[in-house]
Amino acid sequence: MNVKTLGLAGVAALMLAAPVRSAAPAGKAWVHVRVEEANRQSKVSVNLPVTVVEAALQAAPEDILSHGHIHLGKMGKRDLSVSDLRKAWNEMKATGDAEFVTVENADEDETVRVARAGNVMLVHVDKPSGKESVRVEIPIEVVDALFSGQGEELNLRAGFAELQKRRGDIVRVKDNDSTVRIWIDEGN
Amino acid sequence: MLKMILIGAVAVPTIAAGSVAATGVVVVDVREARNGQHIVVPVPLALAQVAAAFVPEEKMHMRLPREAQQYMPVAKQVLAALAEAEDGELVRVEEPNEKVSIRKEGDLLKIQVDDNGEHVKVQVPISLALSVLPESGSQLSPSQAVWALQHARLTEIVNVQGRDGEQVTLTVY
Repeated sequence: MNVKTLGLAGVAALMLAAPVRSAAPAGKAWVHVRVEEANRQSKVSVNLPVTVVEAALQAAPEDILSHGHIHLGKMGKRDLSVSDLRKAWNEMKATGDAEFVTVENADEDETVRVARAGNVMLVHVDKPSGKESVRVEIPIEVVDALFSGQGEELNLRAGFAELQKRRGDIVRVKDNDSTVRIWIDEGN
Repeated sequence: MLKMILIGAVAVPTIAAGSVAATGVVVVDVREARNGQHIVVPVPLALAQVAAAFVPEEKMHMRLPREAQQYMPVAKQVLAALAEAEDGELVRVEEPNEKVSIRKEGDLLKIQVDDNGEHVKVQVPISLALSVLPESGSQLSPSQAVWALQHARLTEIVNVQGRDGEQVTLTVY
């Protein structure tokens, strides 16, 4: 896994994910991103007040965000649309705790698991060696808020508003020589 | 008559010094390590403003690229939110022989880069950055930027130390 890709994936996941450790007021919350690459002896640390991230979302140019909504349209060759995803999400949400996807890929030597556990959607990707893993925890409320847009739109602002209430790890990615961690807490 | 000349001789420099002190002075300080030269250039902000007034209008504005124009409102909103936020380290990058740090301390954004023996420190008052960024439109005004330096009184805006010991500082008094 390339660290830049991991970092980008992490930042993207930030918009989609959050833990369920506790709900807290968003006033002094900070978003933290850490990327460490052992082979390059490199450490990158980004800490941003959630108010700053929110301001960036509020003021994002119209062609990226239209009134807090991001328009994705049809995605991929199989025309998986946001409205299709919304329907699937509503079905999955109604199911309660369950393991939705388990993929054991012998060629790639990895397992992928998507499940709901209580108030959280879990996405786990593991290599049997234990050297590489991805952990994403997505609270139901955040995904609900994201899908509160109409048609082919995701409501990014609503998703981030939910995200601000969370504290703790959001994303952890580990591979052979790098780690990425994204979390929210009250400290700077 | 002599009395009038004396009053004039005292009053004119006093008023000039007072005006300069009131409007601010940018001091560029260069110390060369090899030959020990030390150059200090004080530039009164008011003088820089007057000089800017003589520059033709079309050369007074820097046109921003379309992409930059698009993100100008975002930059202003983000800076405004940052001004209200708590102090703290926003970015830290550590690599062998290279460190970058961006901190927010009060109204100041402090940027520090240490790169193989070269050290750069930049301190930018958020209020200065906010006043320089255009509200809308595509143009930045250098004269406005010069005037905005008044937000940075008593601040060492730039401090660069080269590998050879040369040091350049730019301070607003």
